[in-house]
Amino acid sequence: MSRDFSRRSFLKAGATAAAAIAAWPRYVLDASAASRDRVTIFHSSVADSIHPYNHSSSPIYGNWQHVIEPLLEYSVDRKDFVGVLVESWQFQGNKWVFKLRKGVKFHNGATFTAKDVVFSVEKMRDEKGGSLQAPNFKDVAEIQTPDDYTVVFVTKQPMAVFLDRLDNRFVLSKEAGDKFGDKIYENLIGTGPYKFVSYQRGGNLVFTRNDDYWGGRANIKEVVFKKVTEDAARLAALESGQADFINNVPDHEVARLKKHPRVRIDQVEGQRMFFFAFNMAFKPWDNKLVRQAANYSVDAPAIIRNIFDGIGYPCNGPVGANVFGADPKHKRYPYDPKKAKELLAQAGFPNGCDIQLYYSAGRYPKDREICQVVAAQMVKSGFRVELISQEWALFWDKQGVNGGRLPFYYIGRGGLTDADTLYDQYFRTGTTKRTNYSNPEYDKLIEEQQRTSDSKKRTQILQQAGKHIMDEALFIPLFNLADIYGVARNLEWKKRPDEKIKAWDMKIKA
Amino acid sequence: MLSFRHLKIWVGGAILALLVVCGVAAPLLAPRDPQMQTLEDRLRPPRWTKNGLPAYLLGTDNLGRDMLSRIIYGSRISLMVGAATVIFAGVVGCTLGAVAGYFGKTADEIVSKVSEIFLAFPFLLIAIAIMAFLGQGVGNLIMALMLSRWVQYCRVVRGEVLSLKERDFVTAAKALGGQDFYVLFRHVVPNTLASVTVIATFGMAIVIITEASLSFLGLGVPVHIPTWGSMLAEGRSYINRAPWLTIFPGLAIFITVFGINLLGDGLRDIFDPKLRRQR
Repeated sequence: MSRDFSRRSFLKAGATAAAAIAAWPRYVLDASAASRDRVTIFHSSVADSIHPYNHSSSPIYGNWQHVIEPLLEYSVDRKDFVGVLVESWQFQGNKWVFKLRKGVKFHNGATFTAKDVVFSVEKMRDEKGGSLQAPNFKDVAEIQTPDDYTVVFVTKQPMAVFLDRLDNRFVLSKEAGDKFGDKIYENLIGTGPYKFVSYQRGGNLVFTRNDDYWGGRANIKEVVFKKVTEDAARLAALESGQADFINNVPDHEVARLKKHPRVRIDQVEGQRMFFFAFNMAFKPWDNKLVRQAANYSVDAPAIIRNIFDGIGYPCNGPVGANVFGADPKHKRYPYDPKKAKELLAQAGFPNGCDIQLYYSAGRYPKDREICQVVAAQMVKSGFRVELISQEWALFWDKQGVNGGRLPFYYIGRGGLTDADTLYDQYFRTGTTKRTNYSNPEYDKLIEEQQRTSDSKKRTQILQQAGKHIMDEALFIPLFNLADIYGVARNLEWKKRPDEKIKAWDMKIKA
Repeated sequence: MLSFRHLKIWVGGAILALLVVCGVAAPLLAPRDPQMQTLEDRLRPPRWTKNGLPAYLLGTDNLGRDMLSRIIYGSRISLMVGAATVIFAGVVGCTLGAVAGYFGKTADEIVSKVSEIFLAFPFLLIAIAIMAFLGQGVGNLIMALMLSRWVQYCRVVRGEVLSLKERDFVTAAKALGGQDFYVLFRHVVPNTLASVTVIATFGMAIVIITEASLSFLGLGVPVHIPTWGSMLAEGRSYINRAPWLTIFPGLAIFITVFGINLLGDGLRDIFDPKLRRQR
């Protein structure tokens, strides 16, 4: 018997296995090429944890928005906020009154009411529980719920910019919270067009369609987000049909991909602004002269010209030209290593100084190259730069940027449409620990514009704050880039500048 | 002397010698500073192709740095990491192995158990774990590689010592009043050197590949030091537009490892009594 097995059965089994192996890639390709039921998205940043409030990153907001929804959202087309879970709102002094949408059901069948809003805000304010979104409610004194469909946010002082803070604040089901307790995020229940199926550590998210969605059923049944930080790997997946949609296509591949039979390139000017941030609790960045020297040592236009083949938009001030509150009069610090050297000497570093530059390789387009180029530029003015790349989770969390632990780092602020967002988040005393900057005069300006509902006046104050940032050289503004997406030709979607990818806006042509 | 029998050793040795010369004389051989970026000249193909510039024999990389100079400087890291790891791992492994084999009992128990624990881990995985723990740097890299390489020496030397210590010349040395450590390191260990040399040459090839793998994964030496592995990693996303970014560092690794393996093969042919008899 055993002899028989060792020849005949072995050969048979071998032949079957060989046939299976030969057929396998074909089968996989067929299964995952854009079918009408599923879209597979390979993205450089998919949720880093199952906790939907443990981040503040535009593309990740987009991921979670499939399941849990915000009260309102900024519409790029209308350049204003539009209601999602709320129907209308009113600004009354230090009160914001929201009327909730009626007849919205959670995935567990519960009805959406004011209780869920209060519950979710509590979760977002729970920093010990892992939320990184608490600063958005810093100025909220109280939340009132006069009835099931009215929510009133009472702020410490009138706060004109509160709608911006509510953008991307997603609502969970309180009933699910009561039922699952600590395990609420593993059993995520929202009102969104998709239901949560699974999350894998390392960043794979799977959603399935919510057929009873209040806003109408989505076209595509299943959505798979897979985190792939390597540009080349995402590209290969798209070209081979393994992925239907990828982000951050390297610009040097655009010309070739435009001729690809299966792929389309969609390009849009991104809202994400890239910059180098100083943490002013660290030496030498507490010294204004050193910060100015650093500003004089970085040649952002040269990076756009050479690394991005000219596809990009250098910032002339602390924010890009299209952002609310930008000042056309601002000029960026010109590239001038000689001047930088003088400033460094004045600051007490005639022989240059040693600095560390942190970044998270693979997070943003060509980040590794940008940091290497800047390191080489800064050497010319006397900064000796050590480059340190960290895993994103380590880089961003309490051990890194958000714990105020990194002295100097490369970062992008996404979804930037209003200068207040950046000015408050990075430079106002105590909002975050990202730069540890504190200046009472500056804080006053920020608070004043947040109270001001007249947009002309607000612009003026924001421009004043911007001037303060430039004069004090609080960071090194760089540029906005084009968001370049690679899309299967038969997939339709709505291009957006805010890095969100919404599967319910997608359609697959036969 | 240059017989066909020794051809492997000659070719392998020549490649290794060339590598050593490259590494030692890098500042003299490299036409440019390997760090110098000339952004205007980025992604230039090798000199002999249509768009090549005479200044760059093997072209430039994505930041306009000279490929040839980076490959020459890259040999330093490969060589230094390879040699240092082999020497440290060899000394540690041989000593522990010799002690375990010669004294037996508790010493043997401890050393054998520890080496079994190390053996149970996949080699690359343990190196990755150590690098993630210690952080980037050449010293840490050598340490990580050494910790994952010493076991092999230890096992082989222990085995050899076990059989050698029963031999008459050892008994004779003891009878003449030799102390244990004297007998061990004067009479026993030198007899294991043939096998250790063979392991060391093959080991060096493995270490060079592992260094390249770790650099490729971004866990090796800091980014500003050119290494073949990190050059491969950076060039990978340009493989369609600028294949020379990956071809040349890849070739450098291939030729080096090929040469060292050839040398190791040749040495084994000479030292292995079984193979010697067949000829």
